[in-house]
Amino acid sequence: MRVLGLLARVLVILWVVSTLVFLMLHLVPGDPVAVMLGESATAADQAALRHHLGLDQPLWQQYLHYLGGLLHGDMGQSLFLQRPVADLIAARFPYTAELALLALAVAVLLAFPLGIWAAVRAGRWPDQLAMTLSLIGVSIPNFWLGPMLILLFSLWLGWLPVSGADAPWAWVLPAVTLGTALAAILTRMLRASLLEVLHEEYVRTALAKGASPRRVVLRHALFNALLPVVTVLGLQLGTLLGGAVITEVVFDWPGLGQLLVESIQRRDYPVVQGVILVIATAYVVVNAFTDWLYGWLDPRVRRP
Amino acid sequence: MNAPFPRRTLLAAGCGLPLLGCSARTPLPQNHFRLGVSGRPRSLDPRRATDALSSRLNRLLYEAPVDFNARFEPVPALMDWQQTAPLRWVFALRKSTRFHDGTPLTAEDVAATYASVLDPATASPHRGGLKHVQRVRALDGQRVQFDLTHVDALFPGRLTIGVLPRRLMKAGHDFNRQPLGSGPCRFVDANEQRTRLQRPDGALLEFIKVKDPLVQVLKLRKGELDWIQGGLSPELVRYCAARPELAVQWHRGTNFAYIGFNFRDSWLSQQPIREAIALGIDRAAIVQALFDNHARLAGALLPPEHWAGLKNWSGYPYDPGRARALLESAIGQGQRLSLSYKTSANPLRLRLAAIYQSMLREIGIDLTIQSYDWGTFYADIKAGRFQLYSLAWVGIKSPDIFQYVFHSQAVPPAGANRGHYANPEVDRLIEAALAAQMFAEQQRLYGQLQRVLAETVAQVPLWYEDQYAVLHRSVSGYTLAADGRYDGVLTMRRVQHG
Repeated sequence: MRVLGLLARVLVILWVVSTLVFLMLHLVPGDPVAVMLGESATAADQAALRHHLGLDQPLWQQYLHYLGGLLHGDMGQSLFLQRPVADLIAARFPYTAELALLALAVAVLLAFPLGIWAAVRAGRWPDQLAMTLSLIGVSIPNFWLGPMLILLFSLWLGWLPVSGADAPWAWVLPAVTLGTALAAILTRMLRASLLEVLHEEYVRTALAKGASPRRVVLRHALFNALLPVVTVLGLQLGTLLGGAVITEVVFDWPGLGQLLVESIQRRDYPVVQGVILVIATAYVVVNAFTDWLYGWLDPRVRRP
Repeated sequence: MNAPFPRRTLLAAGCGLPLLGCSARTPLPQNHFRLGVSGRPRSLDPRRATDALSSRLNRLLYEAPVDFNARFEPVPALMDWQQTAPLRWVFALRKSTRFHDGTPLTAEDVAATYASVLDPATASPHRGGLKHVQRVRALDGQRVQFDLTHVDALFPGRLTIGVLPRRLMKAGHDFNRQPLGSGPCRFVDANEQRTRLQRPDGALLEFIKVKDPLVQVLKLRKGELDWIQGGLSPELVRYCAARPELAVQWHRGTNFAYIGFNFRDSWLSQQPIREAIALGIDRAAIVQALFDNHARLAGALLPPEHWAGLKNWSGYPYDPGRARALLESAIGQGQRLSLSYKTSANPLRLRLAAIYQSMLREIGIDLTIQSYDWGTFYADIKAGRFQLYSLAWVGIKSPDIFQYVFHSQAVPPAGANRGHYANPEVDRLIEAALAAQMFAEQQRLYGQLQRVLAETVAQVPLWYEDQYAVLHRSVSGYTLAADGRYDGVLTMRRVQHG
């Protein structure tokens, strides 16, 4: 029943999103035919191409055609590249997923030690250092951090490639760039949540009964402090799966974000619609997964 | 509470782990050139390509019947030609040529390529350029005949689309994904990030998409790229010129930048106001400050070296005193004029807009800058929703551009007369030039036409920006061309530095 409910929710959200995107895209000024044919095409050529692409049909007919295609699992054909939208997304999504997961891994690797360190040493220099670092992490924009990391690790040290996704270690710099900002938020969230839990009675009881501080923090306090952290992680993963445009541009990472921005610029309606549908689906799925994770972490939030 | 974790454990977990095992820089291969481009080609099918990158790559993959020389005159490439009647042109293959799959290139292939462009089902953007072709057919294995509906002295210059094999076109081959021509380079493969071609000497040319100009330069410095051409900000070009491991090459360019007017506007329809704007912008100072003198002041759409170009005229000089006097004669003593100026969101274009704003303020014009993303900006310009705007004409070779831009019947969507410029004298000269059969007569008429356009300030010609390429010092042998074509990569070679 829960799966059916989720499926119904997903379908309604996707329908609303696809309709809104369709209408907004067609209402924004700009003509894909003009972008495709360039300056020198005659009016007759433009009209012929517009007819060829079905862009001369009334908006409601184009909408029905689009919706009909979606119901048959067909997201249409790119106006610009003349390739199926599904193929374009299938080529880009693995890159986006890879970068999202790696960035999240970097964020977790940075945030958990720092957050825990700050919480257990609250009010002392490690706490202040961790919080200062996280404040810097939140404040540095990716379009600055990315080139700085390239200068340091690619040009001066020569350890990593500048950009691209083909070289074996090409993922490191974009993942660190994205992960740093995420880590900063996670660190602060984890510290605050852990501090609250560390003052609970059961923590004091466990310590009084002789449990080691490491065991108390990792086994008892951390699990109970994870709920808000998981919420943020879920939101961050959803955002990352939508493509991190700036980071993708700086590092030439061929992900969904770049595809989306390029398609908006050239008014490639089917591709924009397809990519946004995928992003919306990713959000819904990640949210559902987060809900499930809540229940696993804290049996009190499980539904009867 | 005592510290539950040793500090070293935390530090090791938090920092440095992602960088373990990173490899050092790999040595540069001798027969592999990595060339940075800002996007991916839209189409490697020459019948459908419109963007500069596709056209430049298609020149390497396919051979076209006709090319242009430095004066923009059509010259034989794959074929010679002869006008056998006023409405008939016969083109003949100059040499025996083969496609990359080994099959011979024949007149049948040429005829089939151009018939395909003319077929509405192909939806080729180049169909309009061949609108006077009534029929195309192969006379034998060597000769192709084109029958026209109208006299067209510029016709040979329209056959610049690369030739495709007829057999594959009939089979519905996807040339965009698997290009197959007879050009100097073979197609190897392509993906989202790169397009690879092979030179006749076996060297690999890898065109790598690097969108961000700053990253292009960083990759060039690191040796991950060997070459980039155009697209950098003036500061980045200066930076490259100062780096010992990089070299900047320059070549006179032909891309024409201009400011356009809306002639339906009550102020801009007045010639003194347009002239005041032309006189009030110090183009020489802009070229010096922003482009380090790597641009030529322009007087007309076609550069002076063009066979139909206007010689000895580089536009209105900077004269703020006269500009102010002209403006006051039109709007009244002590009055100021408010105008809006539309431009794209490109940082360089925005900076230029701010400079125009500052210069025109001095002569009594308050310019409001409106900047939009390209799609919105271009749609507004085409729809005539502007007072002033700036754009550039890129890669113009044929003088029939004047009909497209200045004829009173060429307002969008019929043409690109976006400002609704209407001048019976200009219409007459354009029509006479198009109908002229003699080259010298055309040259005279186009010269006269451009003088009228300059006298009536149909637009403010700004400059022709120079072409430039930045090369890593490990490569040499590249030669730039005025139109930015990439043919120079065919002679690029790797050099050893001690």
